[in-house]
Amino acid sequence: MNDVRPMIMLQRLHRFFDNTRAVDDVSFEVMRGEVFGYIGPNGAGKTTSMRILATLDLPTYGDALVDGFSVINDPDRVRRRLGFMPDAFGTYPNVNCREYLDFFARAYGLRGRERSDALKHVMGFTKLDGLAEKPIRGLSKGMKQRLCLGRSMIHDPSVLILDEPAAGLDPRARIELRQMIRELADHGKTILVSSHILTELAEMCDRVGIIEQGQLLAVGAVEEIQRGHAVLSEVEIRVLENVARLRQWLADRGDIENLVVDGELVRFSHAGDRREQAALLREMVLADFSIAAFGCHVKSLEDVFMHVTQGFVQ
Amino acid sequence: MTSMDSTPAPSGLDEALSNPFRADHQRPSRASRFDATIDRLSERLNPILVKEARQALKSRQFVITFSLLLACGWAWSLVGIALASPGIYFAPGGTFMLIGYYFVLAAPVLVVVPFSAFRSLAAEREDGTFELLSITSLGSRQIVTGKLGSAILQMVVYYSALAPCIGFTYLLRGIDIFTIAFVLFYTFVTSVMLAALGLVVATVTRSRQWQVVLSVLLLIGLLVVTVAWSITAVNIIFSGNSMPYQTLDFWTSNLAVVTFCISFVVLFVLVAAAMISFASDNRSTKLRVVMMVQQVLWTGWMTYCWMRTEADEMLVVFMVFPGIYWYLMGALMVGENAQLSPRVKRSLPQSFLGRMLLTWFNPGSGTGYSFAVANMASLFLVVAVLGMLAEAAALAGAPDNFGWLLFGLLATCYVVIYLGIARLIVLGIRQFAYVGMFVPFLIGLFVSLLGCATPAFLQAWWFGYSELEYSPFQASNWMWTLAEAANDDLLSTPAVPLVVGASAALVYGLNLLFAIYEVEYVRQETPQRVIEDEHDRVGAPSSEKSASGEDHHLSREP
Ligand SMILES: Nc1ncnc2c1ncn2[C@@H]1O[C@H](COP(=O)(O)OP(=O)(O)OP(=O)(O)O)[C@@H](O)[C@H]1O
Ligand SMILES: [Mg+2]
Repeated sequence: MNDVRPMIMLQRLHRFFDNTRAVDDVSFEVMRGEVFGYIGPNGAGKTTSMRILATLDLPTYGDALVDGFSVINDPDRVRRRLGFMPDAFGTYPNVNCREYLDFFARAYGLRGRERSDALKHVMGFTKLDGLAEKPIRGLSKGMKQRLCLGRSMIHDPSVLILDEPAAGLDPRARIELRQMIRELADHGKTILVSSHILTELAEMCDRVGIIEQGQLLAVGAVEEIQRGHAVLSEVEIRVLENVARLRQWLADRGDIENLVVDGELVRFSHAGDRREQAALLREMVLADFSIAAFGCHVKSLEDVFMHVTQGFVQ
Repeated sequence: MTSMDSTPAPSGLDEALSNPFRADHQRPSRASRFDATIDRLSERLNPILVKEARQALKSRQFVITFSLLLACGWAWSLVGIALASPGIYFAPGGTFMLIGYYFVLAAPVLVVVPFSAFRSLAAEREDGTFELLSITSLGSRQIVTGKLGSAILQMVVYYSALAPCIGFTYLLRGIDIFTIAFVLFYTFVTSVMLAALGLVVATVTRSRQWQVVLSVLLLIGLLVVTVAWSITAVNIIFSGNSMPYQTLDFWTSNLAVVTFCISFVVLFVLVAAAMISFASDNRSTKLRVVMMVQQVLWTGWMTYCWMRTEADEMLVVFMVFPGIYWYLMGALMVGENAQLSPRVKRSLPQSFLGRMLLTWFNPGSGTGYSFAVANMASLFLVVAVLGMLAEAAALAGAPDNFGWLLFGLLATCYVVIYLGIARLIVLGIRQFAYVGMFVPFLIGLFVSLLGCATPAFLQAWWFGYSELEYSPFQASNWMWTLAEAANDDLLSTPAVPLVVGASAALVYGLNLLFAIYEVEYVRQETPQRVIEDEHDRVGAPSSEKSASGEDHHLSREP
């Protein structure tokens, strides 16, 4: 029965700051072992909703459940199951990496061997072994991110909330981070990870949600969203003769928009999936047009993101 | 580097398991053996204490303070001996030396330690590390006690550093061991209280600007207390050998003082913990319990004191401090919000008796008001019964007039009236705007001062300052009226007690009308999922860990 219960569930979550609707009626679910990408531009409300999930803030209205427990009414139960990696993290002076992790392990109630196991495991997993004695105030951004990830998983939580874990990382570190996240998910962790960049998440996420101005605009697998918003695909054809007749022929059809003729090249937007594009091509050939090339450009993830979001920043 | 090699190899794991405190194959160095010992000792300690102890060893502030303390201690030893030099071989010089050492100790212990306790909690909140802490399994009370613990640890270190010097003063004679212990002990107690207070101050606000203002105020406060206590301490040291160590009263009164100090430390710790706890937590019930305990302590010690001294002024003193105490606490409680979160509602009392007796411990302005009033009233009852009994039994301590009775009654009535008015004002404001707890507190203070100042000022204005005599017009002026009552002069104007009593009844009635709904809260069902989890946790007693998540730790997987 553990498998039917979503590990993360947002129920009509609202959070207002005075007049700012930072989170405005957001609902979604994440199942066990799933990596959910939370994508939106600056000020979209990602951090706000993640902080509510991490029991650092309270919703104005609505609730969020982690493993079935309300973040409002059972924060302590939520906290035992949840690891949170904030976008900016505070450090202590005069503390090295091992002491830092050790402190949080103690704070999560790990004792004795359990704690040394957890430390060893986490330092191995995040490759902090070599940095154990390094003071945290002297760490680079990438090292800090790893330490912070390590801290958030020290108590072996079943749910991880990672707020922009890849921000400020070099390409290699990003790839490693992606592998770490995938590996965690393969071990049954449920992960909610936020980012500004859809392509960054596309590979590692099972599903994504796109949020802007506090509202969830789209949820689903990346391809689903891509398909859902690729209603208008850009088609470019090269026709050898009868350009004017083709233009007329196309203009008479209902599913064509933005028709542009440029010498032999004809470009337009077509509302229809790939099957319908194939049908269109056959009809053109049957109508005796000499088509030399037919190209269809499906919208890239960036295009989809730009299409879904309006670029409003609150 | 692939993700695969990040899983630790089983052999390394086994090694770590068999020798948890040694990560490598080398022979343990002295430092790591030391670490291992500390680790074993620290297993049960508060994690914050462990962390801060480790940090302190590397922190510049601690090292500097410690070296300064040592340097000053030694410097004073040399200078002091030089100053007292010709006489030191035959005249007792202990008193003189101890005063110097006292100041060397007081500066770090009374100022630096409490202030750094304040800073360390405030810094956690500013740097965002507090949020990371607050989502661990550490409770807010553990966080506060950890901070207090590390403050105490620092004090202990400073004390031990100066211990040889203090021992030296004893050898010089002129001061007995009791006096030394007395001064050092109370310096310690004061320091702990100040540190706890510093922690409370750290939780008052999160804004950086206010934090700066508060830190200045705190520093001034610490200096004032330090100076005040130092004057006392120096006096005690000088009059050292005349302290009544042999009498029972000396010990009982000290016991009383110490129990109060402890109760205030507990109160401060719980207040600080409540301030930093999660918004849906019950922030008041525990505090009210502590207040109740303080009330019982006060009643007990004052009764004892009255019986020993047989002075009827005691019956007035009996009511003075609780009057101030309950007014201030009441002003804070009146500002509480009566919106109980579902989480709090889960543990509300259910039985009739439980609801009748325990509802007053629920968070809320109405219950807070009633709680303060009920405590004040019951204290008055105790005082009245004690006085009457003494009177009836014609004991030696029996009061020879009724000023004390009137004083107690009026003090209770004033608390009822002014708290009630403050509460009604707060409820009024809450209809239109959000107010926290600080504004109601200020309103409470303001209302009571206004009640004093207005009639005094008007009377002075109309009749001139020279004619300023007590009149029934001053009924709302609690300071003057109570002073009259205590001096037994009030019975010449019997209208005043009547007016005050009637207003108290009126204000109380009005307030009850607005408190009804707070009493109507009933317990809420605990959700099924929580019961399930509770069951799981009890059913799997192996460790906290196994209950913390259904899945095993990654490292245990193949
Ligand atoms: N404590 C606060 N007080 C007032 N407004 C806030 C607060 N926290 C967030 N907001 C507002 O809520 C909105 C959402 O902010 P949030 O930090 O959640 O965005 P985000 O999606 O995390 O953005 P970014 O990608 O820049 O991190 C913003 O308009 C922000 O100004
Ligand atoms: Mg953010």
